[in-house]
Amino acid sequence: MTEKYMKPDIDTKRIPLFIDCDTGVDDAMALLCAAKMNSFDLIGVAAVAGNVGLENTLPNTLNVLALAGRTDVPVYKGADKPLARPLVTAPHVHGLNGLGGVELDPSPRKAESEPAWDGLYNAAIQYENLVLVAVGPLTNVAKAFIKYRDLPKRLSKIVIMGGAAVGGNRTPSAEFNVITDPEAADVVFNSGIPVVMCGLDVTLKAYLTEAELDELAELGTPQAIFSYQSQQNALRYELSLGLPGICLHDPAALFFAEDESMFTARKAGIRVETRGLVTSGKTVTDLDSDKKMPYREHRVVLDIDREAFRGRLFALMRKYCIP
Amino acid sequence: MIGNRSNIQTFHASTEHPIPIILDGDPGHDDAIAWVLARSRPELRILCATSVCGNQTIEKTTYNAGRIMALLGMDVPLAMGLPKPLFRDPIIADTVHGKTGLDGPDLPEPVRTPVPYSAAELMARCLKESDEPVVIVPTGPLTNVASLLLLYPELKSKIRHISLMGGGIARGNWTPAAEFNILVDPDAAKIVFDSDIPITMAGLDVTEQALVYPEDFERIRHVGNDVALVVAGWLEFFYHFHQALGYPGAPVHDAVAVTALVRPDILSGKDLYVQVETTGEFCRGATVGDINRVSGKPANAYCLKDIDRVAFVDLLVEAVNYFG
Repeated sequence: MTEKYMKPDIDTKRIPLFIDCDTGVDDAMALLCAAKMNSFDLIGVAAVAGNVGLENTLPNTLNVLALAGRTDVPVYKGADKPLARPLVTAPHVHGLNGLGGVELDPSPRKAESEPAWDGLYNAAIQYENLVLVAVGPLTNVAKAFIKYRDLPKRLSKIVIMGGAAVGGNRTPSAEFNVITDPEAADVVFNSGIPVVMCGLDVTLKAYLTEAELDELAELGTPQAIFSYQSQQNALRYELSLGLPGICLHDPAALFFAEDESMFTARKAGIRVETRGLVTSGKTVTDLDSDKKMPYREHRVVLDIDREAFRGRLFALMRKYCIP
Repeated sequence: MIGNRSNIQTFHASTEHPIPIILDGDPGHDDAIAWVLARSRPELRILCATSVCGNQTIEKTTYNAGRIMALLGMDVPLAMGLPKPLFRDPIIADTVHGKTGLDGPDLPEPVRTPVPYSAAELMARCLKESDEPVVIVPTGPLTNVASLLLLYPELKSKIRHISLMGGGIARGNWTPAAEFNILVDPDAAKIVFDSDIPITMAGLDVTEQALVYPEDFERIRHVGNDVALVVAGWLEFFYHFHQALGYPGAPVHDAVAVTALVRPDILSGKDLYVQVETTGEFCRGATVGDINRVSGKPANAYCLKDIDRVAFVDLLVEAVNYFG
């Protein structure tokens, strides 16, 4: 028997899940949700520089998992900068510390000694049906793919939060995670395996209104209160842009990995522009173009049943009410 | 949905006060139908026509322009455009428009020879002579229009508006990210989009919906005059290429740029800040629309998105009726 069947407290029907993130207020929400999903066994989390520097995203990841009561989950230290560019962060959205200024209790757990790319690869060796949800810049994943050529085919599914078929949030044509490390994103899309792109096309529709975020706080748990407080700065920022509420980009990608039924997605080819003057970081799709790309097994997520999304989020967050 | 208001395209043409226009194209089947539509409308006063290399070489598009003008009795000066895009080698679309660039029905020989000076100069002369600002209707690569702006910047105020076919906010056709006209001369397109001249962009977002179905060809043919028979023949030729790609009809892209001037009520769109990508691995020639308003820049183009297809076909039937 392989080791996975000998794990004492894990339901073998659960699908092993590895999350790569740059925690980040919406990353934190995704971690809090993933920690309570029965369908997934969260077997590892890696931190990468993105929303803020790695000196914050790594402790944030550890501390949010501790808040979720999941100090059993190993956390890996990833890249502190993109593959080929300087790091540009988003403190105006996520706050200087990445958690909207909220200070969490430090986790008793420390990061693993092996780097993120080794942690991901070892997980893929150990669990043959590993699902990867990557919701930050794809630097760690690209490094893992570059180091381990057999890794892409060992993953059963990759869902990323990043990109957009149309539009951007960092520039008119680019979404933050992808423009932060466009080379890494293109390594992932060009690796010969299907990737699900949960980008702005759908995540701008995966929002909570201000009233709904208030309602979340009323659950009263430390996790709910943290969610409320940490997202206030991002909420103000997004309302100032004319958005209807706070976009939960990263939970949307996680939820797609768990249950596609609340989403609409279409097959497409996807590559990342790395050299354009105004399109650097654009995820180029061939969704509606006469000209198709040679590889078109990726999927672009385009729509979401927001009521179902909100319902799932609240159902998971309510689990923290049960001691 | 249809008939939204734009802050960029605020005017509309009327029979009492026709708008002076310049036709600039690379005919091309859909350019030709755009010119048929323009010629048929009493709200538009055509000052001149200029050819550009795009769908075919400049010699062929110029010859086609002359033949179309002879067919339509369009007695205005014609100038031959530049033999290639501003800074690049030409790309032609002979797979779409055939060896002549306008394969299909027989056409009369040109009546007028092109003027002995450049397209930019002919445009400049027409702008200078016009009492009121002129609308330019480019339906090919933007080489001539950009040349005009580079050579005669002082005439910018005489250009009231540019209603162009090109680009696409959500799609390309020649590459996944780029539409043919913009891809052929992205540098020219950048000059035009950065010019501060108000633009109506009839891009693929709308023009892929401007479909004329085979049953509509028969309506047009049934009108029975020479122009109607030729237009029906062009549509059939043009449809043949698109049918193989799975289109239910012929997308008459270029005619939408003219429709925007005479029937804005059958179109809708959005004012957006649009930038043109001139380089890149995958995005050369892409028109980037700032749909999430992250640039902080004011809109420079009214980007058309939806069209009342049936009303569009009716408009084309009405256009061929004009020719007797």
